[in-house]
Amino acid sequence: MAAKTTTKTATSKKSAAPKPKLAFYWAASCGGCEITITELGMRLVDVGDIADIVFWPAAMDFKYDDVAALKDKEIDVCFYNGAIRNDENEEIAHLLRRKSKTLVAFGSCSHLGGIPGLANMFDIEVLLERVFDTSPSLDDSRGTRPKRKNKVAEGEIEIPKMYDHVRSLADVVDVDYFMPGCPPVVDQVWTVFQTILAGQLPDKGAVIGAFGKTNCDVCPRKKGGSGMRITEFHRPHEVELDQEMCFLTQGVICCGPATRSGCDLPCLTANMPCRGCYGPPDGVVDQGSKLISAIAALVDTDDPAKLNEILAGVADPVGLGYRFSLADSILSDLKYGK
Amino acid sequence: MESEKVLTFADQVRAIPGGEHFDVCYSCGTCVSKCMIQQKLEPEYNPRRLLRMVNMDMREEAFDSPTTWLCSACDLCYPACPQEIHISGVIGAVKQLAVEAGYKSPLETVVVDESLCSGCGICVMTCPYEAPRLIEKEVNGVMDRFSEVDEEKCMGCGMCVAACPIGAIARPGVSNAEVASQIKIKKHKGLPTLAVFVCDWSLRVDEDLDILESYPDNVRVIHIPCSGRIDPQMALMGLRSGIDGVMVCGCAPDECHFKRGNYVSTCKISLLDRMLGQMDLADGRVRFVQIGTQDRGRIRHEVDAMLSSLQEEVA
Repeated sequence: MAAKTTTKTATSKKSAAPKPKLAFYWAASCGGCEITITELGMRLVDVGDIADIVFWPAAMDFKYDDVAALKDKEIDVCFYNGAIRNDENEEIAHLLRRKSKTLVAFGSCSHLGGIPGLANMFDIEVLLERVFDTSPSLDDSRGTRPKRKNKVAEGEIEIPKMYDHVRSLADVVDVDYFMPGCPPVVDQVWTVFQTILAGQLPDKGAVIGAFGKTNCDVCPRKKGGSGMRITEFHRPHEVELDQEMCFLTQGVICCGPATRSGCDLPCLTANMPCRGCYGPPDGVVDQGSKLISAIAALVDTDDPAKLNEILAGVADPVGLGYRFSLADSILSDLKYGK
Repeated sequence: MESEKVLTFADQVRAIPGGEHFDVCYSCGTCVSKCMIQQKLEPEYNPRRLLRMVNMDMREEAFDSPTTWLCSACDLCYPACPQEIHISGVIGAVKQLAVEAGYKSPLETVVVDESLCSGCGICVMTCPYEAPRLIEKEVNGVMDRFSEVDEEKCMGCGMCVAACPIGAIARPGVSNAEVASQIKIKKHKGLPTLAVFVCDWSLRVDEDLDILESYPDNVRVIHIPCSGRIDPQMALMGLRSGIDGVMVCGCAPDECHFKRGNYVSTCKISLLDRMLGQMDLADGRVRFVQIGTQDRGRIRHEVDAMLSSLQEEVA
């Protein structure tokens, strides 16, 4: 895979050649992807040496007008993180698409909808009611809700229109590459930067900064043998977890079998099961249903009544199987149409 | 010194755990009457006769017999045998000797694509026959872990094909691509469309299969070796393609031909149904029906009921 190849950076290029222009943007996201980029540390200085950053709202003072003033395709590579939750996210996605030669969906949210995509389980009114009326941390008897338009001393301001469901970046614009992860691991980010800046671009549509198989391919844990099946599901906090055995053999659901590898297993190393942020592996369309297919095959009982009892231990099948990919799932397509 | 006694075929079978008790067979044939293989797959299939072959030292004939290879140890015959012989155990012992003698299984078995296999071991844990196991071998100078399937143990049920989270396992005839290609149904104005995945063993009489085939083409019948072969991703893809409902038809709780496929299917459909519920998508779009030996004709009622409840959704 191209992203695995280590290449020399563009430092050896002639100094007269124009520096490539980079842009970073965050849409519906938590900011973790931005932190990953800053975690490049001193390597970020190298990036600054060989490229011009023309837009990066989280770290530098640019305005949308600055982007609009650029010529079409003037940005060489744009890394867009965050899902499409509102019309601002979508508008800037279109703008950056127009201004960029290469657009990378960076991180789980823009790749697959990410955590914000879980909101697709609920209708918009249910969400607003929860956030503004019934949230236990809220104490507001006036039932305040934000208005789209508000008059202030300086004039009228308008907040973005929230959509009825969350979409991935590729649902609204043409995306060249997908870089998974919540957030993408920093060493993979660096490899991808080097690869792209060296002009070694993989085929359009490729998933970069990750591998093709699943996390189990690289997981060092001892796998289950014949007949090792699940008679009771546990959530990670309910049991003492063995450090060396596959989580599934301990009755704890791990998304590793249905998740693309490439993250270097930080969760598993911390003795926590994989949550699936790198999305489905090559050839799999719908991460959650494939996970369900695997997990269901491991349930062990021949008593139908017991079967339901065991399955009740899977507390939240959608949240578990699609923690990062619900917006890109067939379930979302069925609910919101595609 | 006494000369070494030559072991008869019967002695060898008796020496294998599970093969001990065939001597008490008095050839009543109750096992044959209980077995689905003879009526659905292979007229020559006959456990009673195989047990006689063992007693009569007919080694080669036994090894060549389809009975040796086709028994899936569903054990429908076991509780029926008046002599309480665990017949699948005896057949298993004969099969073990046949494999040792170099005979090969005539069944279609699964194949693992090592370019995809991630060595997760899900298939190993899933298989009711202990056919797959994890092996380590060197690929391009790196040790890697893969699933390897013992063809003599694989019964071709396809449970692992559906369980494999990366689609690395295929069985000729029921690979993911082959099943997926059958799920397309044309839209019928005013009529609901229904895909029925029917396990090859669940409908015990031909008349029931005829009932299924008699529906107009808004009902698509897709044959799978075992209800455990159903893949929720495939069911969802069917729904996304515009199909209104997906029915999976499998064996009754204690009657699965492949030991546990119907339990696996119950779990899959139950979780899938819960996921659709969490998304507030219409209830009853996926359904698992279990048709037992005593349920002749019930499939018509099940399909009609599902079609009429889907009709309400469509309307």
